[in-house]
Amino acid sequence: MKDEEYEKIGFKAGLEIHQQLDSNKLFCNCPSILRSDNPLFEIKRNLHLVAGESGIVDLAAKYQHQKGEDFFYQGYDTTCLVELDEEPPHKINEEALEIAIEIALLFNCELIPISQIMRKTVIDGSNTSGFQRTVMIARNGYFDTSHGKVRIDSIYLEEDSCRLIKKEEGSVFYRLDRLGIPLVEISTKPDLKNASHVKEAALKIGEILRSSRVRRGIGTIRQDLNISIKNSNRVEIKGFQDPNIMEKCVEMEVLRQKKILDSGQKNQSEVRNCLPDGNTEFLRPMPGSHRMYPETDLELLKISREKINLVKKNLPRLRREIQDDLKSKGLSEEMIHLLFKYRKLNEFKELYSLHGNAPLIGKLLLVFPKEIASREKRDLEEIESILNLDVLSFVLDKIYKDRLHMADLKQVLERVVSGMNIEEAIKLNKPEIEGIREKIFKLIKDKPGLSINAYMGLIMKDFKGQISGEEATKIINQFLKQ
Amino acid sequence: MEKQKFDSGDFVEISLSKEKYRGTYLESPESGLILLKLENGYNIGFNKKDILKINKIKNFKEEKKLDLNFTENLDKPGIVLIVTGGTISSRLNPGKGGVDFVESPEDLFLYYPEIFNLVNVKKIEVPFMKGSENLDFKDWQKIAKVCGNYLNDSSISGIIILHGTDSLHFTSAALSFFIRDLNKPVVLTYSQRSTDRASSDARLNLECAAKVATSNIAEVVVVGHANSEDYFCLGIPGTKVRKLHSSKRDAFKPVNRKAFLEISRDSIKKISDYKLIDKNRKSFLDFKFEEKIGLIKFYPGQDPKILDYYVKNGYKGLIIEMLGLGQIATSGSRNSWIKKLKEIQKKGIFVCATSQTIFGRTNPYVYVTGRELVDSGVLYLEDMLSETALVKLGWVLGHKDWDIRKKMLENFSWEINDRIEFE
Repeated sequence: MKDEEYEKIGFKAGLEIHQQLDSNKLFCNCPSILRSDNPLFEIKRNLHLVAGESGIVDLAAKYQHQKGEDFFYQGYDTTCLVELDEEPPHKINEEALEIAIEIALLFNCELIPISQIMRKTVIDGSNTSGFQRTVMIARNGYFDTSHGKVRIDSIYLEEDSCRLIKKEEGSVFYRLDRLGIPLVEISTKPDLKNASHVKEAALKIGEILRSSRVRRGIGTIRQDLNISIKNSNRVEIKGFQDPNIMEKCVEMEVLRQKKILDSGQKNQSEVRNCLPDGNTEFLRPMPGSHRMYPETDLELLKISREKINLVKKNLPRLRREIQDDLKSKGLSEEMIHLLFKYRKLNEFKELYSLHGNAPLIGKLLLVFPKEIASREKRDLEEIESILNLDVLSFVLDKIYKDRLHMADLKQVLERVVSGMNIEEAIKLNKPEIEGIREKIFKLIKDKPGLSINAYMGLIMKDFKGQISGEEATKIINQFLKQ
Repeated sequence: MEKQKFDSGDFVEISLSKEKYRGTYLESPESGLILLKLENGYNIGFNKKDILKINKIKNFKEEKKLDLNFTENLDKPGIVLIVTGGTISSRLNPGKGGVDFVESPEDLFLYYPEIFNLVNVKKIEVPFMKGSENLDFKDWQKIAKVCGNYLNDSSISGIIILHGTDSLHFTSAALSFFIRDLNKPVVLTYSQRSTDRASSDARLNLECAAKVATSNIAEVVVVGHANSEDYFCLGIPGTKVRKLHSSKRDAFKPVNRKAFLEISRDSIKKISDYKLIDKNRKSFLDFKFEEKIGLIKFYPGQDPKILDYYVKNGYKGLIIEMLGLGQIATSGSRNSWIKKLKEIQKKGIFVCATSQTIFGRTNPYVYVTGRELVDSGVLYLEDMLSETALVKLGWVLGHKDWDIRKKMLENFSWEINDRIEFE
């Protein structure tokens, strides 16, 4: 379909993106680790339908509950009483909150200074408590796309649900490992213009999120899409396995809604599931507004000016900006690519802040460890754990202070990997460079007025193998400047 | 901010210096703040001083409640529900944004429809509504009095008391002593997870409580989750029960005795001995109580001079929760309690010993210190729980003509178990 056609049919679409954050859990101190080994225990629970204040039971809740199933929760030593709904939530995880603030700032949002953590009723068993804790932390943001600004309606910080393991007759098995992992939900306004714009926006949001501290890998980001055309009811589509299917799914959903309208009917407002071929199937009715009430076990959430400023100061930049910056520091395209690929950006930053010299740091982080690993036939990970930041900043420091030749660097690192103490490893069997320096000075003093090249010839004759040409030039220059 | 009166639930527009927000006005748990429920259901807060103006757009309109059919279930056994407070009697008040107590029996029906199908709830009594941390012996007496109205009423199979958890084991001990010749089930039950949650433990606890209240047991029983799962509950003797966890569903455990019953939704299983119902037995109340009693937890190095406080303030009896088998600092210590204990007993304070270990029996004869304490006049209370001992001491001392020493060691309601089985 062409852009004009989308406009003509009154196409409206907005995204809801859920992204896991890279910290411990949101309301307890358990690690955010997914387990694939056998669970240590399994606990059976039932959930009950709870009427709201007015006695009215939410339609979505009712639908979920009709099945009347037993829920079995599988736990590990990496889950605690909080996930089991056997202990009140702890104070909100500050690290997760900071990451969420960071993300809100990256999307140009206004942060909400005072907010209340809410309980959103969910009784399909995926939350042991019967609700999901969620808090609105920011609103009114935007990001840029080829079709102009896409506005962000709001950003929420919430806990992830249990992982569905299997369903049997009357029983559903969930794993507690995922329950409580912090998520941000980013919901856009219905600003998306067409199918390819939906995909572009989803990818862009993903790119922005990945510049912050988020979890990577399958299942760590989930995209939901809200979509309608003129006179049709809004439909929420979940379960996109990859953004490539989005475009096709949008087109097919538009056609589906159109077809229903053309037959003189109106589509149901409902939640649908995206199938691998881009088709969708009914999942459940749209949740109503009766499902949100305060989390009474927690205090109001306050985000102070100071906190926002602190996060602002350390705000990560987008990959493109970082790339440009690295290029200006003298790194090659190839090196920049590897830095991202092997996620060495933080290490690079740290080492660069000590002594500069981007190309050398690139080599230290990305080239030498690999070469040594393949020569020694050892794991790269193992080599990298030996050649850690302490070792690398030590050798950089020595080079900076002229206590180590660039040419000897790899040999020194090999000695460290072979088990030598770093202090010992840099003592290569050579006369002290200080001694050589003195001798060179003496030589120049004795024969004043020669050209640099002439001095070079003399020096390299006397000290060959003990000093590199580069170093000799440096020392000569030092002396001549005096 | 302009002074204007708003009620929780009013739909308003709040103007700040730069922006406006619309939503439902809510009172904040913190002064100086107000909360607004936005149309997406989320609540956000504002400092009152940042607000330029609030305009009321629509008055609060109470949602019409559904008609609830709260009718008697004549073919089912009759029970009385006594509601005293606690989490199990609470509900969420969205207007205030917090939890408070249910206002009417209809609210209970809303939250616990199952129990009204299982039994015929003939009467709902509300002697008071309190968190159990705020109770005292007068409240125990009030509950006993309400029970007393129905004990000898043959149309009532049993009584269910909804109670807060924190001091529930004190109340259950008190009722075990206050109600004499008990002839039907008196069941206390609770919840650890609030009733607004789909995961609340209250439903299973209540269903099992209803089963016990219509069974053949004539005891004061605490009914609640047996473990973290929603499979079954235990029915534990009121004098042998203690809250042993601050938050778990199975917080209440039997101590130094087995539970009476194991109850699931479809079965009720006897685990240990109990008295049976008897229509010919007439129950009566005896809730005389001496308030001047105290419970002291001993710690190493504690100065015995704290006992002077109890003498000065006219106390009549003390439970000292001792270490191990029943040890506190005696003659080998820098701060021996022996002299002071003799002194306060001479001045009329009755002193008993229980153990901080919770599980196991006290025994003064294993170590010299214990014998020293016995010689000083301290009475060791076998395997009795400290909380039960405190309540019993108040009850026994309330009877001016009773032989205190003899009555403290008389087994009224399973509070002393002379054989603790291996588990």
